[in-house]
Amino acid sequence: MILTKDLSISYGDKTINFPDLDVSTGNHLLILGRSGSGKTSLLNLLGGLVTPSSGYVTINQENIALLSNNKLDKFRGLHIGFVFQTPHFIKSLDVNDNLMLSQFLVGKRDQNHMDTLLEKVGLLNRKKEQLYKLSEGEKQRISIVRALINKPKIILADEPTSALDDHSCNIVIDLLKELSKENNAVLIIVTHDKRLKEKFEQFIDLDAA
Amino acid sequence: MLLKLAWKNIIKRPLSSGLSVVLLASSLMIILLAFLTMQQLEKKFNQNANKIDLVVGAKGSRLQLVLCNVFHVDNPTGNIKLSDVKFLSNHPFVKTYVPISLGDNYKSHRIVGTNQDFFKKLYKARLIQGKFFKKPYEVVLGYNAAIEMGLKQGDSFYSSHGIDASIHEHQDAKYYVVGLLDYSGEVIDNLILTSLESVWQVHSTDHQKGSFDLKYEKKHDHHHHNETIVNKDKEITALLINYNSPRAKFSLPGIINSKKQLMAAEPAIEIQQLLDLIQPGLKAVSILAWFIFGLAFFSMLMTMINSMKDRKYEIAMMRASGASPKLILISILTEGLLISFVGSVFGIVLGHTLMEIMGIYLTNHYHYQFSGFIFNSFELWLMLATLTTGFISAFFPAISAYNMDISKTLKKKT
Repeated sequence: MILTKDLSISYGDKTINFPDLDVSTGNHLLILGRSGSGKTSLLNLLGGLVTPSSGYVTINQENIALLSNNKLDKFRGLHIGFVFQTPHFIKSLDVNDNLMLSQFLVGKRDQNHMDTLLEKVGLLNRKKEQLYKLSEGEKQRISIVRALINKPKIILADEPTSALDDHSCNIVIDLLKELSKENNAVLIIVTHDKRLKEKFEQFIDLDAA
Repeated sequence: MLLKLAWKNIIKRPLSSGLSVVLLASSLMIILLAFLTMQQLEKKFNQNANKIDLVVGAKGSRLQLVLCNVFHVDNPTGNIKLSDVKFLSNHPFVKTYVPISLGDNYKSHRIVGTNQDFFKKLYKARLIQGKFFKKPYEVVLGYNAAIEMGLKQGDSFYSSHGIDASIHEHQDAKYYVVGLLDYSGEVIDNLILTSLESVWQVHSTDHQKGSFDLKYEKKHDHHHHNETIVNKDKEITALLINYNSPRAKFSLPGIINSKKQLMAAEPAIEIQQLLDLIQPGLKAVSILAWFIFGLAFFSMLMTMINSMKDRKYEIAMMRASGASPKLILISILTEGLLISFVGSVFGIVLGHTLMEIMGIYLTNHYHYQFSGFIFNSFELWLMLATLTTGFISAFFPAISAYNMDISKTLKKKT
């Protein structure tokens, strides 16, 4: 599903080389690394948010570096779901409209799927809520729903649990795993959060590499 | 969805969006008000002024002569003897010759003594009820006058002395309504029309009875100083003339003005001069309003820039969710257009509402119709200008959002 080869990125005279990845449909991968290890850069490379200095990323056998900007935006909206450490939403819209916007951006409309996901994360009854009324843990659960709203092939999560307490952390990680499995999506998490290590069979430690 | 997003983003910031809308709306309102006033004033003035080529009256202010006898708003300049203008009645340059005599009013509607040419040749007025006056004390009412006085055919009333409403009534001058005129949108709508003889008779009996209104006397003594000979040498307030040939314009006023007792004024020229006086005032008001418009633009720009600062994570998130830079650009421009649209709609609605309210006041005061329900292509231009402003104020923030580096923005933690 997702495959990388000889990826590297340069900031000024500093170059970070990344190990090759190959994750197939429905699998999970945890990437551990401390701050500055380049783990966020790796995630941005995988999501096509930055272009690599060398190497390439293929998703579903498609080299994303070869896509035009417009196509890449569309591709990202359709096939990649992001979860960030701080979940950002459109503050002026409620939960429902935020999720609808994500569908709108790729030209989809599927209220059932949205409700099913909201049900799964236990927040269906908060659909009409303004986002500032939700707790950080709840927001992160909504952002998981958003990441999955367009049935993507890949979920990229950047420090999804670092801002959360143990309880919320468990809920969020379990939901991420469960829902990406159900939706046949690859789940890649980059984090420095050691709590997650025991929850994944596969992990790569960038510090060790 | 984009429209909804733009709208929600606007109402999310009620204070700064509100300020922009209020500034926009009030500037547009003032611009529009000045424009509508000028436009309607010009139209009404010209419409009425063009009916009459020349006014002949007693010496004094030409503008006053025109305002009094064509528009029926100012006081008379004095009276002239009918015999003095007799030579004009069969002058080769004169097509229409209509004497009028002012003096009384009823509930501040002027009673104009004249002959039937006034309707038939000058205003081409049509009756909707009854007949034209024939005998003394028969009157025909203009459309608005009839409505405002609440009189209909067959009713009668006592006139008041003077051309403005006063307490003094001629108890023995009882007028009978014999006809009502159709609506014309012109000054005749506000008048009470009767024969010259009626006016002459009222004032001669008045004199015999010795009943004088002091206020009236002081203000309008010119109506009375020749009353002893009123029956021998009849007086009129003015003579309204239409030319027979364009050449009359160059000779007739000169001939009349050379006479000691007479003065001629051309309504078209006097009104143009009056408008030239008013115009700079209204222009100054407009300039002030455009200045407020500038402030509105500045306020919108600030609102948009601040709002973009707050929303850069949202925008980055939208990009990560599949929005192209073009879509972000469009969504921000939509927001600018929407807020300026709301402002312009408010401004135009307010402008017309205020014009209508002012119109009611002006109509009462001058017996002169102003309306808030007259629209103009100028408003489309105003709206277009406003939308352009909204577009420009959204353009710069939109461009910076367009060029945003998503990965860098998302990396920064809030």
